[in-house]
Amino acid sequence: MTRRIVVIAGVVVVALLLQSTVFADLRLLGVRPELVFLVTVAVAITEGPSEGAVVGFAGGLAQDFLLNQPKGITALTLTLLGYVIGLSRAYITSPSPLLPTALVAVGTAAGLLFYSVVATLLGVFDQSVTYAVKVIVLASLYNAVLTPIVYPALRRMVEGTRPRRVVRF
Amino acid sequence: MPVAVRRTRPRSARLLVISLISASLAIITLDYRQGADGPLASLGRVARSTMAPLQSAVTAVTEPVGDFFSGLANLPSLADENERLVNEVDDLRTKVAVFAEQERELETLYDLLGLTQLHPSAVPAVVIGNGVSNFDWSITIDKGAADGLAVDMPVVTGTPEAPRLVGKIVSITDHSADVQLVIDRDYAVAGTLSDPREVGLIVGQGEQDLRMDLITPGTAIDVEAGSVEVFTVSYQVHGEEGLYPPGLLIGTVSRVFEDANDLQTAVSVRPAVDFSSLDFVLVLMTARPQEPAS
Repeated sequence: MTRRIVVIAGVVVVALLLQSTVFADLRLLGVRPELVFLVTVAVAITEGPSEGAVVGFAGGLAQDFLLNQPKGITALTLTLLGYVIGLSRAYITSPSPLLPTALVAVGTAAGLLFYSVVATLLGVFDQSVTYAVKVIVLASLYNAVLTPIVYPALRRMVEGTRPRRVVRF
Repeated sequence: MPVAVRRTRPRSARLLVISLISASLAIITLDYRQGADGPLASLGRVARSTMAPLQSAVTAVTEPVGDFFSGLANLPSLADENERLVNEVDDLRTKVAVFAEQERELETLYDLLGLTQLHPSAVPAVVIGNGVSNFDWSITIDKGAADGLAVDMPVVTGTPEAPRLVGKIVSITDHSADVQLVIDRDYAVAGTLSDPREVGLIVGQGEQDLRMDLITPGTAIDVEAGSVEVFTVSYQVHGEEGLYPPGLLIGTVSRVFEDANDLQTAVSVRPAVDFSSLDFVLVLMTARPQEPAS
């Protein structure tokens, strides 16, 4: 269990680090990917709603603490995103290898939209609508492109830390 | 496989999610009410000061790679640029010799008049992070309160003699500081045009050019004739000086808006700084009295 926490926390920290350094230079038409969204969706797909929600909350909170904006909005967004994606897994039976990519794209877009709406309602979102739409479209696309590269490795890492024995409670 | 676990899962998952959502809402509310002084803000500072050395390490490793890719994109124009720069260096060498002499004279005069604000000392800093979200126009630098920096200090790039405005420090830890960029939509700075000496208010517009408002109506600004530059301007409000020393280049006027009701003139200003390729900046240690950094 400890190993699981350490691995997932490590993944989140690496995602935040890359996003604020490397991907600030590797932008897609001026927009960078939203790696924590990607990690949340990936964990939710492989591990289910509870883990998705926990990782989303922790990752979102970590990102919030690095921002100069009211904290908690990303945490709220990603908690819901992780939970919903985790639940949706039970209803989708497609064996397509493109499924994670599609879920990441849809999840990122929905998450960013939710974030923008909540931040607007709280009066802390000072971007223009065109820019918000541009970010939602391009960041989802960027995340989707990164998924086939990142997802298999992420999945192997997270699955490798699953508890061996099933505890009944 | 874990059938028994599956059966109990939905309820516990729902409970977990509800408590996490409540926690998020509590954090949003707390932070909203307490602003920059609450315990959450201090936690944020702790998080940033832990991230800073990591960011610094990653930047040190990946910067050559990033430079390689941006170099690749600019390859065709490099030879021309090189030639142009060699000529320019010759020109500048002569000018530097002249300027050094003038600088000494100027300094003597400033000393005589007791002026300090015009030449604040500058602390060089390395850019270690570029904000973390798409909705955040800021950079992180590797100097902080321990180096004498404080919130509200202006950050520039270029040489101390020809500085271009980058932004100002908005939050600080011991060994790192967050700089809000001039293009942030929350950013506003007073500025003056170079050709008609008219003042106005420059406001960030995110990824678009800056906007300069509140210029006296009817001001004739000729963008075609030559580049009209925009500089910071010094002012006093109730005996308190502005944040910026005068003469920091903000950008050049890219277009003039036609205002139908003629209440003010507004122009669009292209920033003088390429924010996507900032590696080093200078923090101006303005002499303005600062609250002690906590």
